[in-house]
Amino acid sequence: MKPLVLAAAAALTLALPSGPARAAYPDRTITMIVPFAAGGPTDVVARIVADHMSRTLGQQIVIENVAGAGGTTGITRAAQSTPDGYTIMMGHMGTHGAAPAVYPELKYDPTKDFAPIGLAAGTPILVVARKDFPAKDLKEFVAHLKANSEKLNEAHAGVGSVSFTTCTFFNSILGAKPTRVAYKGTGPALNDLVAGQVDYMCDQIVNLVPQIQAGTIKAYAVALAERSPALPDVPTTKEGGLAEYQVSAWNAIFAPKGVPAEVVTKLSDALQKALADEGTRKRLLDLGGDLGNRAAMTPAGLQKHVESEVARWNKVLKDAGAAK
Amino acid sequence: MAEDTNSPEVSPPRRRLGRSPRDFLAGACLVALALFALWAGSELDPGSLRSPGPAMVPRAIALALGAVGLLVVAFSLLEDGAKLGRWPLRGPIFVSLAVVAFALTIRSVGLAVAGPLVVIVSGAASAESRPKELVLFALAMTAFCIALFKFALSLPIPVLVLPGLFVL
Amino acid sequence: MGDLVQNLALGFSVAFSLQNLGLALAGCLIGTLIGVLPGVGPIATITMLLPVTFGLEPVGAIIMLAGIYYGAQYGGSTTAILVNIPGEVTAVVTTLDGHEMAKRGRAGAALGIAAIGSFFAGSLATLVVAALAVPLTKLALLFGAAEYFSLMAAGLAFAVVLARGSVLKAIAMILVGVLLSTVGTDLDTGIERMTFGYAPLADGLDFAVLAMGIFGFAEVLRNLEAAGKRDVVRAPLGRVLPTRDDLKRSAAPIARGSLLGAILGILPGNGAVLGPFASYTLEKKLAREPGRFGRGAIEGVAGPEAANNAGAQTSFIPLLSLGIPPNAVMALMVGAMTIHGIVPGPLVMTRNPALFWGVIASMWIGNLMLLVINLPLVGVWVKFLSVPYRLMFPAILLFSCIGIYSVNNSPADVLMAAGLAVVGWVFIKLDLETAPLLLGYVLGRLMEENFRRALALARGNIATFVERPVSLGLLAVAVLVIAIAVLPAVRRGRDEVFTE
Repeated sequence: MKPLVLAAAAALTLALPSGPARAAYPDRTITMIVPFAAGGPTDVVARIVADHMSRTLGQQIVIENVAGAGGTTGITRAAQSTPDGYTIMMGHMGTHGAAPAVYPELKYDPTKDFAPIGLAAGTPILVVARKDFPAKDLKEFVAHLKANSEKLNEAHAGVGSVSFTTCTFFNSILGAKPTRVAYKGTGPALNDLVAGQVDYMCDQIVNLVPQIQAGTIKAYAVALAERSPALPDVPTTKEGGLAEYQVSAWNAIFAPKGVPAEVVTKLSDALQKALADEGTRKRLLDLGGDLGNRAAMTPAGLQKHVESEVARWNKVLKDAGAAK
Repeated sequence: MAEDTNSPEVSPPRRRLGRSPRDFLAGACLVALALFALWAGSELDPGSLRSPGPAMVPRAIALALGAVGLLVVAFSLLEDGAKLGRWPLRGPIFVSLAVVAFALTIRSVGLAVAGPLVVIVSGAASAESRPKELVLFALAMTAFCIALFKFALSLPIPVLVLPGLFVL
Repeated sequence: MGDLVQNLALGFSVAFSLQNLGLALAGCLIGTLIGVLPGVGPIATITMLLPVTFGLEPVGAIIMLAGIYYGAQYGGSTTAILVNIPGEVTAVVTTLDGHEMAKRGRAGAALGIAAIGSFFAGSLATLVVAALAVPLTKLALLFGAAEYFSLMAAGLAFAVVLARGSVLKAIAMILVGVLLSTVGTDLDTGIERMTFGYAPLADGLDFAVLAMGIFGFAEVLRNLEAAGKRDVVRAPLGRVLPTRDDLKRSAAPIARGSLLGAILGILPGNGAVLGPFASYTLEKKLAREPGRFGRGAIEGVAGPEAANNAGAQTSFIPLLSLGIPPNAVMALMVGAMTIHGIVPGPLVMTRNPALFWGVIASMWIGNLMLLVINLPLVGVWVKFLSVPYRLMFPAILLFSCIGIYSVNNSPADVLMAAGLAVVGWVFIKLDLETAPLLLGYVLGRLMEENFRRALALARGNIATFVERPVSLGLLAVAVLVIAIAVLPAVRRGRDEVFTE
């Protein structure tokens, strides 16, 4: 039966229209590995950007969701794939920033094993609390936290998640030591925050906008240099006197190390074009996306960004004793 | 369970593994599983009841499982029950081999090969299989799956990967 | 009340547009067709079909997705009945009596009553959602970690009742399930538990993998051994649709199941999984001859299927009114909505009433379509049983492999399923039932999470579980159910050994 299969395979190959001469990249579908489940913030950014890039490249970019171990499963696989430009990935603050500190046995080095293409869009981090929390602004909140942190409960979506790492950073700036309550994902954590069972959390803006608009939770600050157009009434951490706290759950496209330079240029151009497109920008901004870090939208800029992020999270997490 | 296909025949009392050999083995397996879990989690911190650590629940459950397993063993010595019955290995071997073959080939070679492999290898698990029919069926089912999953639903599932030659 | 009528009128005006009707029909149809592939459960089905909706405008996309969801659920029940392979945890209950009915040549009746029960439950649940979405949301927020822990404890108590054979062994299997649920990275500390450094285990065992391996594949192995005796295939097909007597027997279970499922589905902590189990327990307890359960009792299909569908509908409540997905399927829905630029939240209802009420109205339409699609299809599905098993099982394996693979695009998941198949086969040989294991697995994880969360919030005060009245009440239910199940079973169990 084996020969039969082989014969069938050979027949299929022979029937192909394309000869041995390679057409210009890309001549077939590109797979973009998204290391999180379909529908999450990173997946949404990936789909919006890939949609426009497909049009520029003239080949479809198919999203393959490979979730697991805080995104490192998917990135490990992508890093090991053939560097021909047909497998690329949407990396993330976690997978290409915090992961080395959280996963000591990580099988890739974010700064060395990738050909950066460019930053796509970040989703800013918000500091939010239950709606009846006594503090009226970030200053009062910070003061309250410094004085009473041990009585308070902070919700996060599990060790290694964005809400965990970014809030570790927040707590360490203030020296706060709340009880950290783990949830499986931000959904249940948010549920308990809305219900007033926990006091505060840090999370990506996408999940929070509707709750804040409805007044079911209170937003104290957005951890960005400028206010987010999605929530123009929420002040920045800088305005609130906590300029050190600036984090964004950024998403960026990478290819495995060793892809031809021509491929990097093509992908990078397509990405830039997508991010310059009004329709694409609007879709990203409507979700609360952050397109502010223009410097990191180029391959070289992204490489620098990754290096500084790895260094930052390594320090934050090691100092907080949260790294393993 | 009474009408089940591998329905137990009541054994005459006092055979080697107690009066109900099947239950004896079941209980022993449960106890072994509990011990295995205790060993696997032995390096974890149980914490305290006020602040449970990662080992608290698994350890408590493993201890409970061990206790229930011992009870099953005890009853198997006291009450008459089923014999062990036949354990033909042909099914489990070929079925798991078929699934393993799929897992190993789906990414490296693709569905065009993994599909027929599952069908043909698993076919060897049944004495009723007819080789010619099975091969045709394997090719037809694979073609159907490729048409459905790859083309109709455009899932990111590799169909045929021949390194350097062809990728679909 | 006037509001309700007005709102539903708005909803139906949206849903009854030709395009949206078409999308609901298309969604139900392809959801059913993909979901009916054995081994492809609702989550795999929705993951596969999600991109199909990307090109549509938001309301239409959500309506179609909802249709896909119902279709996938019903498709999952179909495989549970026909080939004893549940696509998700709620369908495990359906296998108990549904597949037994199929073995007795009554597959058509089981499929028919599932469709009818689901339709009735869906209609009731649509009304519940429309009338009570807002007030019920507040009730759901009263449930904290301690209450969820106790609810899951009550759920595990129900699991004991599922046992067909020895209660002791059933308890053991529940414990094995709970034990398996602790494999993976610990949520609170990030430490890996019992993974032996094997990376694919870091996130624990996926339910689809466990169910397919230990239950589905093992079922194939069981059938292979029974060569020649496979009554599934040989039994006369008989009447395709349920008889009047079937309907009479099923009416009350359907009503009770709908109510139970609707209530449990509202809870944001994935209470919907408990609906079918609770319903099965209740029907078995109320039945005049509980011995018929597990041997093809139609009530054991009708009640749980109704509960399942009612819960599937009302689990939209936390999503639509709170913006919080209660389970994996709903999380996918949020993703789909986000991609369409709608982030579900408390304001969707006031800001986008056409969407909110349109989706609610289309729930009912979706259920109607399921009935319309599936009653005629019952005959077709039943015909598939006449495919010889020597060809059926390789096809089952092929679809299952693809289904398992496509959830996470992970060959490691397929590999684990192969290993679990052998484990499941050993369990069958030792007469250890796997249905309680699956329930223990699902509830165990939630139980541990909430146990530790509740203790963290109560600063280590273990009395928190009995000090909170709702929690205390649920724990009391758990104890009661165990007592009812275990005491007579111990006595009866002994009797049965001697009488059989």
